Amino acid sequence: MIVLSFALACAGFAGLCLGMERHYEQVFRTRRIPPARRRLGVSAGWLLLALSLLPAVLQHGWGFGLVWWAGVLHAAALLLALTLTYAPRLVLAWAAAPVPALLLAALLPSL
Amino acid sequence: MARPGAANASATQGKRPWPGAEARRVAAIVLRVLGGVGGGYGIAALSTMLLSTSLPMPKAEAVLTASMASFAIFAGAIVWAFAARSVARAWLGLAIPAALLALALLIPGWGA
Amino acid sequence: MKDGFRQSMAWLHTWSGLLVGWVLFAVFLTGTAAYLRPEISHWMRPEIAAATPGPRDAEVAVAAMQALAPNSPSWFISLPEPRDTSIRVFWRDPTAEGRGFRSAVLDAATGQPVAARDTLGGEFFYRFHFQLHYMSAFWGRWIVSICTMFMLVAIVSGIITHRRIFADFFTFRPAKGQRSWLDGHNLCAVLALPYHLMITYTGLVIFMLMTMPWGIERAYPNQRGAFNAEVFGNAPPRRPLGQPAPLVPIAPLVEQARQQWQGGALGRLQVSNPNDASATIQLIRDDAERLSYNPQSMTFSGATGALLSTRGEGGPAAETRGVMYGLHIGRFAGPLLRGLFVLAGLAGTVMVATGCVLWAVKQRQQAAKKGQPGFGTRLAEHLNVATIAGLPFAMAAFFWANRLLPQDMAQRGAWEVHVFFLAWGFCALHPLLRPRRQAWVEQFALGAAAFALLPVLNLLLTQRHLGASLVAGDWVRFWFDLGLLGCAAVLGFLAWKVARHPATASRTRVAAVPRPARATS
Repeated sequence: MIVLSFALACAGFAGLCLGMERHYEQVFRTRRIPPARRRLGVSAGWLLLALSLLPAVLQHGWGFGLVWWAGVLHAAALLLALTLTYAPRLVLAWAAAPVPALLLAALLPSL
Repeated sequence: MARPGAANASATQGKRPWPGAEARRVAAIVLRVLGGVGGGYGIAALSTMLLSTSLPMPKAEAVLTASMASFAIFAGAIVWAFAARSVARAWLGLAIPAALLALALLIPGWGA
Repeated sequence: MKDGFRQSMAWLHTWSGLLVGWVLFAVFLTGTAAYLRPEISHWMRPEIAAATPGPRDAEVAVAAMQALAPNSPSWFISLPEPRDTSIRVFWRDPTAEGRGFRSAVLDAATGQPVAARDTLGGEFFYRFHFQLHYMSAFWGRWIVSICTMFMLVAIVSGIITHRRIFADFFTFRPAKGQRSWLDGHNLCAVLALPYHLMITYTGLVIFMLMTMPWGIERAYPNQRGAFNAEVFGNAPPRRPLGQPAPLVPIAPLVEQARQQWQGGALGRLQVSNPNDASATIQLIRDDAERLSYNPQSMTFSGATGALLSTRGEGGPAAETRGVMYGLHIGRFAGPLLRGLFVLAGLAGTVMVATGCVLWAVKQRQQAAKKGQPGFGTRLAEHLNVATIAGLPFAMAAFFWANRLLPQDMAQRGAWEVHVFFLAWGFCALHPLLRPRRQAWVEQFALGAAAFALLPVLNLLLTQRHLGASLVAGDWVRFWFDLGLLGCAAVLGFLAWKVARHPATASRTRVAAVPRPARATS
């Protein structure tokens, strides 16, 4: 479940940074973001970040869940920042991460 | 006296700073530090004392709540001491709340 | 006036951070190490075999204390847990020097004192990070608390002054000199901002009764004891009656406690006036099970076994304080969550380090335009290398001392600490003799070598080397040895990076930047 939380957070941050011109350019090589994509990126980003709280709380309850969520957010943000700098294309992989994570959560919920 | 950090602007413009300008700048900083740290700690202490005896909860709980909040108050006072547009404003902004808190502590119902 | 405001906050941020930056670095690094306190202690006592906590630990511990200190007025027993599988005991002994306590480490299976080397273990880093060393706890805690307040101001002013906190959230532009240092500093600060705020504020709260005692003074004048009793629920100490009475068996009490805590585990025992009619046995729940650090406990009469009092949840403010304390200490965290805490702690350490380096780099660039770097710049550069590169080396030296000092040496534990400070002292003097960049490279390289050779030292001097740990399933020591190699890798990487850093290139870049136009006047 924590893996799912982490994957959602990564995807959320990926969405948010793809909505910023500087980082869109790092990944897609053009500065101008089509407006629809930008809206999608930003709104999906925030939504995924919010959703990433749920698996943590489901597995650990509210108190511990919030602490886990904070830790997951920190780690995901750091990962995104480093990815953008050193391997920008990988950001797209993080954006897609919730899909395999969802599968993993269904099969091995203790993770 | 201007805020610290703004002095660099005039220094690089090539004008010869009049004697005493540097001393005034340092004095302003020292005064802000004294006000922020001394006054800030004073305000934090006074508010802790006031809240400990006036918050509507059991005494031990009130003491804990007031003490936990005090650091935010202290930090806020320090930020104010440096954010205020002049040293005079900084000190007024610290002295007035401190005086009010001290007065409130003297009121029998609250200050006991 | 907004620019003036931001400028003054930038000034405040710089000075509140810089003046105590080197102390904060040490606090952050040793504090991060303190997350691994039991693991470090376990590694530093290779004589102790890894064991699994068993249901009879409490009985073994009490029996051991009956043999060790039957006449002591207080026993404090820490039971084994997965991270530290021995029984650690303190007891009051008026004949002991210092604060009148003796301590021992006992084998969990037999209750016999383990013939482990005298060492502070992870306790040293833990205590250093909040009360320093070579000074009384009072002064150490005050100094660290003041530095923590500086840190809080630095965080708040940093947030205010950071102009593009959202736009620059993920921005990191390496290899661009001063810009990269600023980006790195911002990244470590902003990406882990909730953690930094939490750890700093909770750090202040932990010692608030010392640093901000005015509420207690006002509401409980001269009645500290009453306040403590209300908040911490400590029953007032009972005087010994002088009537001998055997201590009741502890197993049924443990069972009762576990039922009360719905299966929760026992963490500690506190026995007062054992073998006297006024004896009390306090069973304290394992603090790793709850967010709040407030201990839940049940106190029984030692002579009759009757339940005297229970401590559960306190009021909301008390629980809030307990949660704050618990969040700071992080004992509730399992391995993965603790890994996240360590990551955040390292981010904080790097944040402080990059801040100090950034200031020195900036000063030196400005000095390159105007002439000689000032004393402050050179002092900051010296302190930077002595602390940022020197402290990790000193920590490795501490581990070296643990392996090399003779077992029967007097004050061995204290001497391990002396070696730590001697190594750090060497790093403080070394930059006087070497050019700037060489000093950095050499100290990082020395640290890397020191860490890398520790597992080798293990192989040569103890039975607990990597291979043996793997075979025995002693995962704590196994991962610890790998962690030492990891530290070596990081320090080696840093040494390599600094050695490669094109110092001349940055100077030409400075010259190539056109001077700010005078036309602004």
